[in-house]
Amino acid sequence: MKDLLANPVVQSGVAPFAAGLAVAGLLIPLRLAGLAAGAGFLAAVWLIGNFGFAPLTATRRIVVLALAAPVLGALADLAFRPTRATAPALGAIFGAAAIWAFWSVLSQKDLPQGLVAAAGVAALVAWIVAFTASLQGDSVRAAAAGLALGVGTGVAAVLGASALLGQYGLALGSACGAFLLLVMVLGRRVAAGTTLALSASVAASLLGAGALLLAQLPWTALAALALVPVAVRLPLPEKSPAWLQAIVASIYSLAPAGAACFLAWQAGRGAGA
Amino acid sequence: MKTKKTVACLGVAVLPLGALAAPEIYTIDPYHTYAHFEVDHLGVSRMRGRFDRTSGRFTIDRAAKTGSVELAIETASLTTGDNDKGSRPRARDEHLRGADFFNVAEFPRMTFKSTGVKFSGDSPAEITGQLTLLGVSRPLTIKVTRWVCKDNPMNRRPMCGGNGAGALKRSDFGMKYGIPAVGDELDLFFEFEGYRD
Repeated sequence: MKDLLANPVVQSGVAPFAAGLAVAGLLIPLRLAGLAAGAGFLAAVWLIGNFGFAPLTATRRIVVLALAAPVLGALADLAFRPTRATAPALGAIFGAAAIWAFWSVLSQKDLPQGLVAAAGVAALVAWIVAFTASLQGDSVRAAAAGLALGVGTGVAAVLGASALLGQYGLALGSACGAFLLLVMVLGRRVAAGTTLALSASVAASLLGAGALLLAQLPWTALAALALVPVAVRLPLPEKSPAWLQAIVASIYSLAPAGAACFLAWQAGRGAGA
Repeated sequence: MKTKKTVACLGVAVLPLGALAAPEIYTIDPYHTYAHFEVDHLGVSRMRGRFDRTSGRFTIDRAAKTGSVELAIETASLTTGDNDKGSRPRARDEHLRGADFFNVAEFPRMTFKSTGVKFSGDSPAEITGQLTLLGVSRPLTIKVTRWVCKDNPMNRRPMCGGNGAGALKRSDFGMKYGIPAVGDELDLFFEFEGYRD
């Protein structure tokens, strides 16, 4: 059993998928099925064994923010009615939080380089969070975006020399995939809400930024990932069943994620040749 | 008058002895000081790597049999001989420098600060202290396996140096990735030389 739980496939694939499916299934009546993303991410952090907060490294700050996001999302879903300003506001909040997450790295850079990196990371996180959070009312698109952001960030991070961040990303993708599976089976009544959209976007964007700053993920790969929540807005066959819409939305969202992985792969090969 | 002369003579006679008994301070020679590590790989081989840049100082007071060491090891300078990606996306050294292992972007150096030195005769034999790696400080004992002091035959400057070894568990410092495929136990070896200030 110990060996099984130590297997990376279980840690970042099977367990997060099972956790996401169970949480989403159980919480549908409460309209909190979106907690699936956070549950899958938490399962991976727990199994990989990095559930500690001292010292509060950049990776651990990513975990803190990724676990705060579903809580904030659930509060937003239960206590507030989202307005047009909600998504940009959440983007701005988590963009600023990204600077806190990576302060220990950014503060060691020369001032101009640090400012550029801080601005770039904050803009990336704000963009992905704002554009994904605004999908909160569309379960199919939100889950497809979460799936692609998670898988894309995960694979790209592994190629960018960080298996740990990669595992976290893949876990997020697995959990969003579990949620999407429920949507395909049960239809759009499975609500993603701000809970899922925020959980997926905050975790994925921070993991991507982490792979850029702490490992060797090229910024071009992150730029491609930033297109995921935009690409998923392409027209869907609205009159078709949910499972077909989910497949089409996943194709839209996985295309830029695949491009991100390709760019990460190429950057590594090009630099080393 | 005679008493004053005696005191002055004694003072002159004692002065060199006092100077000899004072702690001597040495600055690490970065060209002849390296930290190496060795770790189990898949239970097959013991893989070795080296940190190419180390700086610091050490002091020794032979009369009092005390000393101290402060070292700063640039973790970004590590090499295991695999820095060429070839057809792979990343080389092993890049992975070791990344967040999974030494996380050099966030923690560009590890430091060792001694808390005590045990002597065997006139030579330091064991140095205890705190190793700080990845923002975590843990005790580390370095056994001094070789210790020599002499004048450098080329530039005639007084120098001391030798070799030391210690061991740590990387998981104690939060470096958990890859355990047990990549071993938890990390052996450290030092070759060091320093010139007296």
